[in-house]
Amino acid sequence: MARRLVWLMASAMALGTTAQAAVPPGEYLVGFITDSTGPLAAAGVSYTRGAELAAAEVTASNAIATGAKLSLEIKEAGGDAARSIQNMNQFIANRRILATTCCILSGIVNSLKPVVAGKIPLVVYGATAPGLPAPPWVYSVTALPGPSDTATAALVANAMKPKTVAYFVSADNDAFKARMAAAEKAVTETGAKTVATISVLGTDTDFTAPATQAMGANPDAIMIYTTQTPCAGIIAALRARGYKGMIVGNDVLAPAAIWKKIGAPLVGVPFPLSFSPEVNQTAEATAFSAAYEKAYGGPPDLYSAQGYAAIWLIAQAMHGMDGTPTREGLAEALSKQTAVTHNVYGGQAITGGQAAATGLTVVNWTAEGKLVKWSPPK
Amino acid sequence: MQLLLEQVVNGCAIGSLYGLFAIGFGLVFATLGILNAAHGTYASFAAIAGYYAATSAGLPFIASTSVGVAAGAALAVMVDQVAFQPLRHRKAGMIGALITSIAFWMILDRLAGLATGEQSLSFPAGTYPGGTWMVGSLPLPQMQVVAIVSLIVVAAGVHWLIAHSRLGAAMRAVGWNEAAAQIAGVNPRLVILATAALAGATSALAGVLAGISTNNVSASLGEGMLLKGFAAVVVGGYEDVRGAAIAGLGLGIAEVLSAQYISTSMRDAITYALLLGFLVLRPRGLFGRVSFVRA
Repeated sequence: MARRLVWLMASAMALGTTAQAAVPPGEYLVGFITDSTGPLAAAGVSYTRGAELAAAEVTASNAIATGAKLSLEIKEAGGDAARSIQNMNQFIANRRILATTCCILSGIVNSLKPVVAGKIPLVVYGATAPGLPAPPWVYSVTALPGPSDTATAALVANAMKPKTVAYFVSADNDAFKARMAAAEKAVTETGAKTVATISVLGTDTDFTAPATQAMGANPDAIMIYTTQTPCAGIIAALRARGYKGMIVGNDVLAPAAIWKKIGAPLVGVPFPLSFSPEVNQTAEATAFSAAYEKAYGGPPDLYSAQGYAAIWLIAQAMHGMDGTPTREGLAEALSKQTAVTHNVYGGQAITGGQAAATGLTVVNWTAEGKLVKWSPPK
Repeated sequence: MQLLLEQVVNGCAIGSLYGLFAIGFGLVFATLGILNAAHGTYASFAAIAGYYAATSAGLPFIASTSVGVAAGAALAVMVDQVAFQPLRHRKAGMIGALITSIAFWMILDRLAGLATGEQSLSFPAGTYPGGTWMVGSLPLPQMQVVAIVSLIVVAAGVHWLIAHSRLGAAMRAVGWNEAAAQIAGVNPRLVILATAALAGATSALAGVLAGISTNNVSASLGEGMLLKGFAAVVVGGYEDVRGAAIAGLGLGIAEVLSAQYISTSMRDAITYALLLGFLVLRPRGLFGRVSFVRA
């Protein structure tokens, strides 16, 4: 606890050196659109918890200014675009709300961009399609996963030398389609041939038939670019049907809940990782993990880390403001941020409103349920 | 040929779940005259109850499945008595019942979300038959066999019950004309309770088996089965469980084969186009005897 407070105070002091001006004491509201129900609920709960923790830390450490309290006004959207827009309009109408943060789905962010433009700043915590940020009003703290996916696919292909590869892709998700296309290009450049591309939908739950289809092509390796439920389900179905080749996943496999759900079939499946308490061991990451564990009785995951980053970015921008903050002033302050200074990644630069990943970490689950850095099997 | 055979087995297995669900869904429609949008939540709650029976109480497969089936039956009776009985009393008609069922769908869906902590859970390995039998070179996962056998047993049993037992005769009588059945000595309230319980139980069995087979015990489980179950009932004919069972199987096979040989992303569109084409040729469904009301 003492270690956590020291780090929070240090963060606040670091912010304090960048500007002498301050906003007046009082409560400042951030509108938070959550998807804590519906098909995205598992991730939605994590994003929200990370954001709640960040808001509490910002207030406790006077990170914005002495006596400035940051509170979240949370509205449920259930992953639905219409409800998200309705919630955003309510936030815009409430003049006490200075900034907003939202969205797991890129399509919903694109729907909200014209709604918020010129009215209220929006920091995206989850969606990962390229081109979402539109400064000075829209920012994203989630590093684009495409480069990590591509690098992971190339790393595995170079190490394992598969001659044939089959791909799974979410047909109803443009971001995953783009991620798969980039990864396939990188793998093809290593000499591997694509033998099957199998589409699944985000709402699918039975993957026995798609797994049979992939195995029918007899690939040396299978690479999966889908949302969480299909990704985990496909791996379980492939292993249940006896597939022994290499499987490559993506970052949706990182949460501990997925290990608890699927277990042994995930062992040895490499995937890129942005955050995990077991792998990210910076002082900020350790303090965040301990605080999260204490608050919610379980470890944080990559989603809670992203919710956490969104709120810290808003607080950081508010810290540099003078006098009573306005939405326009905050939008301008956000546009001047070049990094999220308090982060759990060991560095998080921002370019053109888009946060970027630092380095590449490829991990896999072990039989004991631990995440370790991946190395090619001997 | 090997791949085709494997995919036909996969289609039969998933189609068995659709068929099981459709039997319950069709019973409610044929006997009680209710297009019950909340029916999918019986499957969700059954899977959740079965999951907790297996993980918290440590019950073996048959016992945990029985707990799920009993939970689904109890929920179906509760919903019928709380939601539909007052409407029946006031003779509110099918639209009133449909809207009420949508309200219960939403409420029960949220409660199911709370029961799972908004997570998608899965039965741990060892709590169900997770092995694979080999017939020659053809792999037969045990849960697929369980699903197919369940459909055969349940469809045969429910068909016998409706066609040859006194309770079945009473159910058919109430479905045709409740007042006339009462004059003939049938207790409609009792028949309605029995029908609701039987319908809930069959769909609950589909829910538990689907939850195990797909590693997905969640609030959304039943929602996914609702549309497929409805389609199977429409194609099979409202009045005969054999039709729902066969149509469910056909739906599953069409879904899997269209994904394998035509287009994965167009899978549902192709499947429903086939169903539409079938209905144009035979609008009463496989075993339907009388025309349903047309818009």
